[in-house]
Amino acid sequence: MNTKPHNHACGSADHGVSRRAMLGTLGGAVGFGSLLQPAIAEAIKKQEKRVCLIWLDGGISQYESWHPLSDSKYAGPFRSIKTSIPGVHFSELVPETAKIAHKISIIRSMETKDPNHSSGVPRIQRGDPIDRGVTYPYLGSAVAKLLGPANPELPPYIWIKPGNGGFLAKEGGFLGAQYGTLALGDGKAPIHIHRPEGVSAEVDAARNALRQKANERFGAYRGASEIDAYETSYDMARQLMARKDIFDDSKLDPKDAERYGTHPLGRHILRARQLLEAGVRFIKVNSYHWDTHGDNFNMSQRLIPQVDRPFAALVNDLEDRGMLDNTLVIVMSEFGRTPLVNSRLGRDHWPDCWSLALAGCGIKRGAVVGETTKDGAWVNGEGYDIGHLFHTIFTLLGINSRKERYRYKGQKLAIAHDDCEPIKEVMQ
Amino acid sequence: MNAPALDVKKAWVSREITHDLQLFRAQFSPDGTHIAAGGVDKLVHVWQLVDDKTEKKITLNAHRTWVSSLAFHPRAKQLFTADYQGVIHCWNHTAPGKPVWTIPNADADNVRALAITPDGKYLISAGDDTVIKVWNAANGKPVTKLEGHTECIFSLAVSNDGKHLVSGDLLGSIRQWSIGPWKPVRELDAKILHTRLENFIADVGGVRSLAFSPDGKTLAAGGMKDAKSNAFCPGTPVVLLFDWASGKAKTELRIKGKSDGPINALRFLDPTTLAGHTEILHSGSELTFWKTNQPNPLHFLPNGSAYDLSLHPDGRRLLAATYVSGGASGNGAQKRHRENYPPNKTALKFISLFEKPAEEKK
Repeated sequence: MNTKPHNHACGSADHGVSRRAMLGTLGGAVGFGSLLQPAIAEAIKKQEKRVCLIWLDGGISQYESWHPLSDSKYAGPFRSIKTSIPGVHFSELVPETAKIAHKISIIRSMETKDPNHSSGVPRIQRGDPIDRGVTYPYLGSAVAKLLGPANPELPPYIWIKPGNGGFLAKEGGFLGAQYGTLALGDGKAPIHIHRPEGVSAEVDAARNALRQKANERFGAYRGASEIDAYETSYDMARQLMARKDIFDDSKLDPKDAERYGTHPLGRHILRARQLLEAGVRFIKVNSYHWDTHGDNFNMSQRLIPQVDRPFAALVNDLEDRGMLDNTLVIVMSEFGRTPLVNSRLGRDHWPDCWSLALAGCGIKRGAVVGETTKDGAWVNGEGYDIGHLFHTIFTLLGINSRKERYRYKGQKLAIAHDDCEPIKEVMQ
Repeated sequence: MNAPALDVKKAWVSREITHDLQLFRAQFSPDGTHIAAGGVDKLVHVWQLVDDKTEKKITLNAHRTWVSSLAFHPRAKQLFTADYQGVIHCWNHTAPGKPVWTIPNADADNVRALAITPDGKYLISAGDDTVIKVWNAANGKPVTKLEGHTECIFSLAVSNDGKHLVSGDLLGSIRQWSIGPWKPVRELDAKILHTRLENFIADVGGVRSLAFSPDGKTLAAGGMKDAKSNAFCPGTPVVLLFDWASGKAKTELRIKGKSDGPINALRFLDPTTLAGHTEILHSGSELTFWKTNQPNPLHFLPNGSAYDLSLHPDGRRLLAATYVSGGASGNGAQKRHRENYPPNKTALKFISLFEKPAEEKK
């Protein structure tokens, strides 16, 4: 594992530029990774640390997934099954993940503060740092800032989500719009990725030059954020225009669709694999409707297999491609679900003791971390807050989370909660 | 003494048996001397009703997961119970002990429904693997399988004449089967009880309850329509009434009060009077009574959410397995409950369907 602190000082020149220069030097060519000697480019790509955050919006039930506790009075009705780690059991709803348990870590003692979605999702995805009167970036934006793009041909932060896509500047927080995320609705390429047939490359270039000039003039008298957002989104679209091959599903092995699943989350995690392979630094894959206040057990029976298969497939594929040691995969929600079953046979929000799964990039293989009460309702001892997880993620990515600081309007701002530490039990 | 006249508008809770955990199924024995119930604690609870106020309880222990369904034999001292992991046990419910026999793999997963033919010969089970299984009720040996559903089966009902079996699934398909010979007959359309909007990631709803009218002229199917999400799974509770001769849905019964969950249980009180119960999140629900010729309720009785209804053989009392909040439900963070995190409970409510006697009013 690379534990050496990352040396990108925040607030320095744009990492995208420095990364390009580095790639140019290493490859004997200036500018574009595609011009590098393929073997070198491939080696660099594999060394670059990447992240895939699989976000189950609403809250996956820990009892129906990573912490079944069949003897608990709060257990659901599903079987506990053996995993590839002797003595460790998962729910029968995650049979594929049970087979790769020796490749991943599970934290069963997450103990966070916010029981609501509206405040909990941003709080968790921003790492809940100490309030210093600024709006912190979401994790993907933070990583994009701290590490820059892994492949300068591609946006550093892509969000695959159901519904519509577009450029979402607000995830960048105080870092600014250029660290926002390019959202791919349903995992598809942006709709304007194709240059219209009637527009030649020369005409297109001239139009771009005119657009840039207009932006510069407009931006000279206004705040930079709107222009940044526009410019960044335009640049990202142009980058993807050059990589239409990533979205060409005809090149996919038909067996992949079967292994990942044809449902949206399966397709989207497969797309994430393609983007990781292409060199995108941070990919967030969202699935919605996990907030099972009603009919939790029927819904869990149908929802949880939708993350089980593609998560296991992704971990296996990354390993097969030699990428797992440099790619961090996280499966989590904003909280877990209540031990008690409510009147609609649902489980409500439970930040008090919940579970998540991690793999790759220096995550221990086969670790199950965190003590809880026997019934799984509460953490025994100290739980892990989201700040601990952010320190862990940054450390695994080679960023010194204790020393690295954002610089914003003269302030030096911690990148993760000052009072938390990395979770060493899950780190190699 | 003559039974009091049925008058659902005067319905009242005449007795409660409480249990300190959640029970989802509760039934009267056919002779009315016992009630059996099951739920999250994996146990089968049987109360002998000694008199109007006292009962003796035994507990039957063999299931290894939640009890999902139960049914009494119409005459023999036999109780059949099923669970979420595909197991069916047959018990002598009048005495503690081990199961008389067991079917270990009645379903690949959850046995969601049990039914028994009026002659007591056949036990019928159905659930997640979509295949209806018919068993010899005397010994649990397989008789036949009925295939045709494409999604999990939630509900079963047998007509009073013992000639027809119906089964209802997640997608709103109700299938009719003949009993002896066991053959498919026709499919009834209850698809409005299923919802799958474009942004859903799971199917929601299903035919959660089925009941034949005593005269065999009407089939009632309960559930909910127009689900708004696959997370909270809120919808509009409805009952579809089918004219049995034609197989056409003729009336859609609605509830009057608040409820956002499916109608889980239906019982005909006479050929034209139907009772149904639904559920709601963190609030009060209702036991609803309808006349089958009008969509709006004849009457409703406020109650907690309930998941099962059973009619006493005297025809004048319903048993409702009713949710009772322990006071700690709802969203965390709930550290204040760490030392005392009270479970949600059950009240097995006896609902008398006649005017409260004068002596009870005092």
